[in-house]
Amino acid sequence: MRLSNSRTALISIVLLAPAATAQSPKKLPDGQPNMQGTYTRAGVKGLEANPPFNPIDPGEKNPLSVSNREDGLGPYPRIFGQGGNVLRGGQQRVERRLGIVFPEDRKLPWRPDEDAKRRQFLLEMNPAKDLKHVELNSRCALPGLFEGEDGNNPYTILQPPGKVVIVYDYNHTSREIDLNRREHFGKNIRLFMGDSLGHWEGSTLVVDTTNFNGHVAYSREIPYLSEDLHTIERFTMVDENTIEYEVTIDDPKLFTGPWKVAGSFSRVAQGVESLEFACAEGSQTLQNIFGLPAATR
Amino acid sequence: MRTCRAGPSVQRRLMRKFQFRIPLQLFPFVFASLWFFTASASAQSPAALPRTADGKPNLNGIWQVLNTAAWDIQDHGGELGIPPGLGVVEGGEIPYQSQALAKKEQNRAKRVTADPAEANCFLPGVPRATYMPYPFEIVQTSDNIAIRYEFAHALRMIPVNGSKHAEGLPSTWMGDSRGHWEGDTLVVDVANFNDETWFDHAGNFHSDALHVVERYTMTSPNHILYEATIEDSKVFTRPWKMSMPLYRHVDKNAKLLEYECVFYLQEERYKNAPFK
Repeated sequence: MRLSNSRTALISIVLLAPAATAQSPKKLPDGQPNMQGTYTRAGVKGLEANPPFNPIDPGEKNPLSVSNREDGLGPYPRIFGQGGNVLRGGQQRVERRLGIVFPEDRKLPWRPDEDAKRRQFLLEMNPAKDLKHVELNSRCALPGLFEGEDGNNPYTILQPPGKVVIVYDYNHTSREIDLNRREHFGKNIRLFMGDSLGHWEGSTLVVDTTNFNGHVAYSREIPYLSEDLHTIERFTMVDENTIEYEVTIDDPKLFTGPWKVAGSFSRVAQGVESLEFACAEGSQTLQNIFGLPAATR
Repeated sequence: MRTCRAGPSVQRRLMRKFQFRIPLQLFPFVFASLWFFTASASAQSPAALPRTADGKPNLNGIWQVLNTAAWDIQDHGGELGIPPGLGVVEGGEIPYQSQALAKKEQNRAKRVTADPAEANCFLPGVPRATYMPYPFEIVQTSDNIAIRYEFAHALRMIPVNGSKHAEGLPSTWMGDSRGHWEGDTLVVDVANFNDETWFDHAGNFHSDALHVVERYTMTSPNHILYEATIEDSKVFTRPWKMSMPLYRHVDKNAKLLEYECVFYLQEERYKNAPFK
């Protein structure tokens, strides 16, 4: 592994130990900077400058939807504040770079025909014309890197040797970032969460992800990205409670160039745990949109 | 990763000692006895296991059963689409209360459409998640152990920090798991289940009083003995137990992929939608 050279690690510990600041996170036995813990995420689904009509989640107007139950058995107790900042309390409010940061005017470099196609696609999502036009999150599938309920649902980072695993509270999702493998899988392996290879550059985890399946959304306004999506994410520990996040989104099928989104992860109060977020098990959304298929009538 | 080298170094030391004293024709016997000595030592000595930096057996990796318990945890013959297999229940019998046994038979009769996991892609529960015919990955750190299952991206987070079961929460599909180490065995206490999951495709079931204690004991670098004790006073007359080996995926580049069961099921069910 690139950064596990024990001599380098030892030297840096010796040199930095007296000045042990927040910028030098503690190291794990395999040499990885320790960013383990539970965080909430903000900013990762930024709005572009000229967004199209935001389609309404059919679930929100649907009395049987799991997201709208009033019997107290909703999918998640509402104990988290927006952005996760409420929980720790007492800390200074810090302005961070959030949302689309490149291009600075937030005008995404859409290929004009692809922009037209997605605007038409959005119009056909409510009511959904067919299964393909149902918002992916309403189908309880893995959400990809961007969807996953910013603000309310915690993320837990685990770092066993040679890996970084991010466990989303949202829909029992998890993703693994492999720190040892150097080559992505072949083109026939297509994944909702992509194939993520990472390495550490100081206290920044850099993650290169490809092999997406063409189903995952960026946001309500960008309901799909293509199979050619290639992301480079940078997770930087800026203090013991904060990870700054930046992702470069390169999808040459839809855009003429890459664009960038910034966000942050804030550590939640000690003792906060993820709860089970079952999704498909209680969802009536598809039945309500389309009616019952013959096989289940 | 720390691995113990006791076996090979003992072997080297013995070889040095006997290097010039043993007649050549005795060498096969010496090697055979050395092999026996080191092999039996590594089978019996827990020190031969791969270990994490904090000294625990290192369970990190991708694992899977090689059995047919997902279809039926008891002895069963083959049927179309159902591979035959020997049971994993200790003693063979599941101690159902009499009414519960009738319900199991009802479940079995409608299993093709009613099996929550196989037919509906719901979270498989515990212990069934372990023996679904899909791999799973153990992600082990000192305070938390996550298990990521390929089937339906099921997931468990197992705190191993001395915390107790959460109270007052809605019941769950995968249960609330709390782990601790007993020597080299990871013991996971799982409670707060709902009554929605089945143990297998044969309709074996439980109530929301289910309590499972799992034991993960590494028996070699590539094998874990998995044991699950099942307790449910509403359904069974006494606790009972299943056990099975877990096998490590040793393939180069082994990686958990995605079996998005519910997504595929929707593609099939709603391919001609809308229906109204």
